[in-house]
Amino acid sequence: MEQKRGLLKSSFPVKASMVIMGTGQLLQKQWIKGILYLTCFVSYIVYLALTGVEDIIGFFTLGTVKGDAWLGIEGDDSIMMLLKGLLAFVITAFFVGIHKSNINDAHRSDIKVKQGSVLPKFSKACGIFFDKKFYIIALAVPVVGVLIFNILPIVFMILISFTNYGGDVVPPELVDWIGFDNFGKVLALSEIKDTFFKILAWNLVWALISTLVNYFGGLGLALLLNKKCVKGKAFWRAFPVLAYAVPGFITLLGFKFMFSYGGPINYYITMSGGSAIGFLDIDAGLTAKLIGILVNAWISVPTSMLLATGILSNMNKDLYDAASIDGASKWKQFTKITLPFVIFSTTPVLITSFVGNFNNFGIFYFLRGGLYNEGYFLASDTDLLINWLYNLSIDNNYYGIGAAISLIIFIITSIFSLLTYVRSGAYKKEDTYR
Amino acid sequence: MSKYKRLTALLLSSVIISTMTGCSDSGVEASADEAITLRILENDTAKQEGYLDVLINAFNEAYKDKGIQAVDANMEEYSDLAANGPYGYGPDVIYQANDKLMTYAEDKHILPLDIEEFDCYEYVPEEAGDAFNINIDGETYCCGIPVNIQEPMLFYREDKMPENWQTEWDDNSNGVADFFENWNDLYAYSKYLRDTDASANKDSQYGFMSSFNNLYLNGQFLFSYGAYVFGENADGTLNSEDIGLSKGNSVTGLSALRQMAALMNEGCIDDTITMNRYEKIADGTYFCAVSTPDTYSLFVEKLALKYENEGLSEADAKAKAIENLKMVELPELMPADGDLTKNSEEMSSSDWVETVVMGGVNGYAISSYTEHREACVEFINFATSFEMIQNRMDMLGIAPTRSDVAEASGGVTDTIFESLSEGNIYLMPSIKAVDQIWVPTQTLLGDIAKDPFREAAGEQPKYFSQQEIKKAIEKVDKDIYDAIYTLK
Repeated sequence: MEQKRGLLKSSFPVKASMVIMGTGQLLQKQWIKGILYLTCFVSYIVYLALTGVEDIIGFFTLGTVKGDAWLGIEGDDSIMMLLKGLLAFVITAFFVGIHKSNINDAHRSDIKVKQGSVLPKFSKACGIFFDKKFYIIALAVPVVGVLIFNILPIVFMILISFTNYGGDVVPPELVDWIGFDNFGKVLALSEIKDTFFKILAWNLVWALISTLVNYFGGLGLALLLNKKCVKGKAFWRAFPVLAYAVPGFITLLGFKFMFSYGGPINYYITMSGGSAIGFLDIDAGLTAKLIGILVNAWISVPTSMLLATGILSNMNKDLYDAASIDGASKWKQFTKITLPFVIFSTTPVLITSFVGNFNNFGIFYFLRGGLYNEGYFLASDTDLLINWLYNLSIDNNYYGIGAAISLIIFIITSIFSLLTYVRSGAYKKEDTYR
Repeated sequence: MSKYKRLTALLLSSVIISTMTGCSDSGVEASADEAITLRILENDTAKQEGYLDVLINAFNEAYKDKGIQAVDANMEEYSDLAANGPYGYGPDVIYQANDKLMTYAEDKHILPLDIEEFDCYEYVPEEAGDAFNINIDGETYCCGIPVNIQEPMLFYREDKMPENWQTEWDDNSNGVADFFENWNDLYAYSKYLRDTDASANKDSQYGFMSSFNNLYLNGQFLFSYGAYVFGENADGTLNSEDIGLSKGNSVTGLSALRQMAALMNEGCIDDTITMNRYEKIADGTYFCAVSTPDTYSLFVEKLALKYENEGLSEADAKAKAIENLKMVELPELMPADGDLTKNSEEMSSSDWVETVVMGGVNGYAISSYTEHREACVEFINFATSFEMIQNRMDMLGIAPTRSDVAEASGGVTDTIFESLSEGNIYLMPSIKAVDQIWVPTQTLLGDIAKDPFREAAGEQPKYFSQQEIKKAIEKVDKDIYDAIYTLK
């Protein structure tokens, strides 16, 4: 507030900088800085004149001319317009940030001049900036990377969920903004709503069970291989690592074949006089779910095992000796010493594992793709939300609906991750050395 | 400020600047070349078997003086023209099945062509040409030039024919075994093989085998009985609101499918037979299996491998395999009442319906985003010439749409051509909505095929009456409709 009042009462150079970037600095005889700010200002104005204004308008209209390749009419590409509009907003936000820094800089210089100080030369000012604000330079690349590769796609997906993009509305057709209609369809249209909630329920159960199975499977294996009585530990540890080293989808196709009617499991069942079992066919909902959990464990337990092995190697053996002297049973030692220690160290991994399993696309896509079950809209009873999302958006081109479901998944997993992490010991006692 | 900080700051700044300048400058375009280069997207089989090289070399040789050259577009077989074309990354000429090409045509991603402009026009049957017609704003446009027909065929080993087939399995003495003429005898022979299987687990000999979860390979159980995918509007265009898989007597056909499944193993429920048919035909476990003509070379390879393992040289094994492996159309008669168990000798001509299989026509189209339309027309004209189509047939085993090539080669090729002309091939509908039919039908066909095995395992069958089948196929129609329209 005080700064705002200061700015209002500021001198002419500061006010000049508010109107045209860099002019204040030029009036204060900071030539290089002034030229740089002025260049930014002119570049932004030129950008607006050349394409920026058009891009911002296009963001709202999403195009007005439909293309016709046969007639040579190029037409508007709604999705490109949405992207360019988004970029225009990012550039504008960037410009606003620079403009603010320009005003602040002119204001600071103004105060220094009034105090009788000599304004530093550009090279010295840069040196001071690099020295005092080094964290800005150091974080710039990662922040730009996160912005381009994480934030922008998420924002793009969020925007798509508010359009009618998909189905018959794909370029050259023009896309329109439709507000919350897609969310309305997911949550209100009876066929889709029922499918959504059925899949969501199974998805949560799946994510929870598979995370626990993978986590405790890996921990159990690590504890087993940590025992003194186990000979050739390195040799035994190599086996799970081999399973981990094989590309996941190859493993999944292998398992699909093993459990198919023509696979080795059914071969031995029929050879021994039994009837072939449809482990993954249309009637096999529960069996297929169990197979999915086991196959996922086969792929993921080695990672947990390696992680747990590393953590266990840091355990203080004296704790166990002391516990034994106090008469604690092995189970007590596990629940009171080992488990708290491992969980403290691996809470973030547990969260990412849960989110990873929640969005585990490959398992049921490869094991049981190509089925639509009764009572499900374009989905089977083993499909997770991510598989349904794929069916809708890739197989059936319903991108808008797909984006709306993505956003719902994003909200669920974000809330879960944040709540779990913030409530965990790993966050509350971040600085604690265990 | 420490040197370290200055150095790091300099490094990071240069990374940002180089990234930004890298993004802003798309580079200078290469200077224009006078020679026209056409990017040709062919299917994977044509590439693997070397046909694309033959075609491109022949075209480049013939057009070297005209400044036109063709190159492999070097893209994934099913790369999306709609996504890549508008940005200049798609092929100039594209070869694909009619349903795929016409999906592009709906959004005008491929150009309308004057089929009469092409030399092959007078030799191509109307039905094949129609597969590439589209109606836009009341006008009909042709957007592709037909090359070959695809339909399910039966593959078998000639040496596995019963020794007495001419006396016992050729009632009309026309030199064609009855089980290749009608489905009741195919059922009867399959049953005979199953009943006489002396192996401990009764799994050493099967008759007719097919993965029933595949509509394309098993469409005859629907389309022979009056079912259709999409109905037609008054102007002859397809009406995707009228889904007719449950129409006609399709229930009868699906009952026949259920009967036939009982003579197979559980592999007919999923893709097992599709995957093992080459090997099982080669080792004699399956008497005949369904596949498409473009897989002919895979059957030959497996059979040749068997002969090699038995001691023949590679060349002799291949020659023997080619001589022994036969490909015929599916039996042309199906029982009108869907009862495959009836004795064919006691059936009159009115007891039969003609088999109508599902098929497709592959052809060439020109991308709307090409800059060399005329050169593309030249290329397609060349690629659909008598010589090149004959080359394609010889190298890939395709059934051409050119009548002169079909006549010259005779045999199965000519028969497939006739089937198309006589309307015994139900062509895949050439509209975008066809994408929605596959998974619902795959699910139902697999489910019906499983029914005999439910019964055998002591479980309650799902499709114990025709009413149950009727309900299920009507639900498939509804599911397809919902998939097309619910989210529109």
